[in-house]
Amino acid sequence: MIKLKNVSLVFQGGSVAVSNISTEVKEGEFIYLVGNSGSGKSSFLKLLYREYIATKGEIEVANIDVSKLPKWKVPLLRRKIGIVTQEPQLLENRNTFENISFALEVMGCLPEEIDVKTNTLLDLVELSDSAYKFPEQLSGGEQTRVSIARALANNPIVLLCDEPTGNLDPDLSIQILSLLEKINRAGTTVIMATHDSLLVNRRKKRVIQLSDGKIVRDESDGSYIVR
Amino acid sequence: MGKFSYVLKNTLLNMKRTPLLVFATIIAVLVSSFLVFTTLSARSIVENNTLRWQNGVHVVVFLDDRVTTTAHKQLETSLESYPEVRTVDYFSKSEAEEEFRVLFKDQTELLAEVDYQILPASLRINLNDPSNYKLIIERLEGNPAVREIRTSGEAIERLLSLTDTLVISATAFALLIGFAAFILLINTLRLAAYSKKKEIKIMRLIGASSTYIRLPFIFEAVIESLIGTSIAVGFGWALIEYSKSSVVADSIFDITISDDYLIFLTLSLLMFSIIFGLFASFVGIRKTLND
Repeated sequence: MIKLKNVSLVFQGGSVAVSNISTEVKEGEFIYLVGNSGSGKSSFLKLLYREYIATKGEIEVANIDVSKLPKWKVPLLRRKIGIVTQEPQLLENRNTFENISFALEVMGCLPEEIDVKTNTLLDLVELSDSAYKFPEQLSGGEQTRVSIARALANNPIVLLCDEPTGNLDPDLSIQILSLLEKINRAGTTVIMATHDSLLVNRRKKRVIQLSDGKIVRDESDGSYIVR
Repeated sequence: MGKFSYVLKNTLLNMKRTPLLVFATIIAVLVSSFLVFTTLSARSIVENNTLRWQNGVHVVVFLDDRVTTTAHKQLETSLESYPEVRTVDYFSKSEAEEEFRVLFKDQTELLAEVDYQILPASLRINLNDPSNYKLIIERLEGNPAVREIRTSGEAIERLLSLTDTLVISATAFALLIGFAAFILLINTLRLAAYSKKKEIKIMRLIGASSTYIRLPFIFEAVIESLIGTSIAVGFGWALIEYSKSSVVADSIFDITISDDYLIFLTLSLLMFSIIFGLFASFVGIRKTLND
């Protein structure tokens, strides 16, 4: 599903974001990407959806060679990926339903199809009762769930979440993780970046720890405990 | 169909967000296009008229009464032998008087006071190439049968030179206003793109192509440009129609311009306005999309 081979990312000016990373993610896996701020988690994810271009190495996502992908083909890659950012990036002048349906509208779905899919997604993220609320009327957790629903609108094969619980309290964070695991059980590969060690310890999933842009630990059996 | 309706909906939404800027842009495009349309139409009218005049009499040789009619005839014969001369018509003193009476028929006092004996006979020359009028002057210089030579060439040259000056001035002005329209259009698009920055960011994450993201802005620019140009062309056609029935039309100036030329001019301007809109949209949102 996802392969990285000797991948490095060096910004202009010489600061190293990712250093010689090699790893593989299988279809249907759920991975927590952990590390301190500046350890390279976001850069790792951005390399996968070609927001950043690797300085060195090879990246393959869903059989697409991302490292050699021309700019005009990037949208084709992103249609296979769902992206959830730390800030939910909701449109203030649109309600929950419209924020989710926006993705479908942009992809050119027909109105009937948009209605059905949006309602399904609202059910999935348990926001049917808040369908007509605007972002400012939603809690942080609800906003994140809207953002997740929108990322799922394209039926992505992999969901990349960059600290979606970063601004949430522990209870709400657990709700989001449960939702992501539910999505994962339905077959979508999920990679979630977080710096919340306690949260990861409880979930018993594969964990990749980054430090200074390098993979320092990769525990696949759920035995990972952040000390 | 779904994608097209999204683009169309967003194009109209963009235009609704900044109505004053959209209005200002359309007005600037309108003024600029109107100037181009009227300038080019006017130039065509002047060219038609000068061509008509040039096909008439190019050189008038007033003959000296003191010289015999035989000398006049000899002069006519030698003029006819010149290769640059197409035709030579002899205009007698009585014909000159008749013409004078027709030309000044409304000025009875003048007609009563004029001594018609002073009106000279003349030779009216039509040249193969009207620009050769100076050659005729040179050939006739010092000829005792010639009293005075008048040419239409100088007048036509002066008129064409004046027209050229007017065309250059109007074109420069049209370009200036066109540039203002371009800046306005770019700013309108930048504002629209800026207000949709978050939306654009989400679209890029979802996997919308750059062209698809650009389309509402491209449509907006082209629509505004086309509206301005269409109104300008409409005004231009109306102005020409009005001129045909106005005082100007009663003068020596012939307000005729071929429909083919007007259609060509209209289509060219509309085509240019589309290119103008496309280019403005390309420049206007390039930065926002690259951010």
